[in-house]
Amino acid sequence: MPERTAAGLDQRLRRLDEIVAELEREDLEIEAALALFEEGIAELRAAERTIREAELRIERLIEGPEGVQVEPLRPPEGG
Amino acid sequence: MPDLFGSLEPLGAPSRPAMPRARTAGLPTVRDYSVALLNSVVRELLESACPPVWVAGEVTGWKRYGSGHCYFTLRDAEAQVRCVMFRADAQRLPTDPAEGMQVRALGTVTLYEKRGDFQLVVRELEGQGEGGLFRLALERLRARLDAEGLLAPERKRPLPACPGTVGVVTSPVGAVIHDILHVIGRRAPWTRVVLSPARVQGDGAAEDLARAIRLFSRGGGADVLIVGRGGGSAEDLWAFNQEVVARAIAECPIPVISAVGHETDVTIADLVADLRAPTPSAAAEAAVPDARVLARQLAEGGARLEAALRRKLQGARQDVARLRDDLVAAVRAVVDARRMRMALVAGRLEALSPLAVLRRGYAVPLSEAGRVLRRAADFLPGEAVLLRIVDATVGCRIEDVRRDAALTVETADA
Repeated sequence: MPERTAAGLDQRLRRLDEIVAELEREDLEIEAALALFEEGIAELRAAERTIREAELRIERLIEGPEGVQVEPLRPPEGG
Repeated sequence: MPDLFGSLEPLGAPSRPAMPRARTAGLPTVRDYSVALLNSVVRELLESACPPVWVAGEVTGWKRYGSGHCYFTLRDAEAQVRCVMFRADAQRLPTDPAEGMQVRALGTVTLYEKRGDFQLVVRELEGQGEGGLFRLALERLRARLDAEGLLAPERKRPLPACPGTVGVVTSPVGAVIHDILHVIGRRAPWTRVVLSPARVQGDGAAEDLARAIRLFSRGGGADVLIVGRGGGSAEDLWAFNQEVVARAIAECPIPVISAVGHETDVTIADLVADLRAPTPSAAAEAAVPDARVLARQLAEGGARLEAALRRKLQGARQDVARLRDDLVAAVRAVVDARRMRMALVAGRLEALSPLAVLRRGYAVPLSEAGRVLRRAADFLPGEAVLLRIVDATVGCRIEDVRRDAALTVETADA
């Protein structure tokens, strides 16, 4: 999956939580702490980029001869 | 069909003796009828004479047969009438009326020829009182689902905090999907929305909704589902009160938000869903996080990250400082111990030093070559010797040598 998908975002948010929890542990080696911090910052940047740059993707779920599939869908006009 | 009493030719049995004249005087010609003909004629008469009527009464002995036809009796304080509701009409009922329920029935009278029973053929049946049969149907379905535990609060699943894909089951046209897309696009534009279109009202809407919901258990990859429609009359919302929809939601492996756009009436779909939203827009808001809030949370996350690292580094720094102090103290202790031993050794060395002896007043005689003169034989009168004293070397000349017996023992032996 490309980096800018929401599935990636959800994973990033969860990973960030893990990293912070890990960093707050008492017995963590300093090298490990620095590596975790770097990873956390990278996740953070990527998550912020996703939030800033993403565009809504709309698809339609259809049942065809080959089972359930999705096809792109344009947003309906007007309202 | 045969004409009525007047011109009808007798059928069936051969002529019998006529009835006594006195009894039939003034009446049209009396004919002989078979039972079947009689019933047929009466039926014609009833059906043509009575237009459709609404009849109010109490339902008793309701029975729905395997054929789908329903039979019951309608009665009030004074009378009762047998009723039938054929399958085509009965299947439109939200549920069977309860025993003793007050109803209004629209129907036409007829005669069931085979039995000669007078009956009302009911086309429509409405329960009296608020909600009528619809309410009863709801109550029954609700009780059934409740008994199965499908409405239990502990069955409600939590919604994902940040769903990657939001599934939507609703009409592909109209305001609902538009509103949902608008809200999600504004709050969480990184989201993927997958629509499973369905009819939301009219015949077959419930089955279509259930089918569209079930599609998501086989594909689409949705993390959360919104099932809904805009507001409408109780009748418009009826599909969301049907068992197939309730079961499709209950069996859905994905958390479901119901969004039936009606603030006051709670539908069965609302009760079974993991979350009830009052409108489709509200459902969309519940489904996805707000980008602004998320950005703030991310900033907080960054701050926590930094604080955690800072704490970690500070701890490490303190550790280093403490270790350095410990190390210095240890080295100092070692050095101090050595220094003390050195002082001790120096003292002993001092005690042994020839200088110390000289300081006490002794002198060492040396030849001019610097050899220590130890014995009487080393001293020859007239020779020059050097005397090393504590602070000088004194040049001397030997006058004479007197042997001292008390001091010669050791040297004599040597």
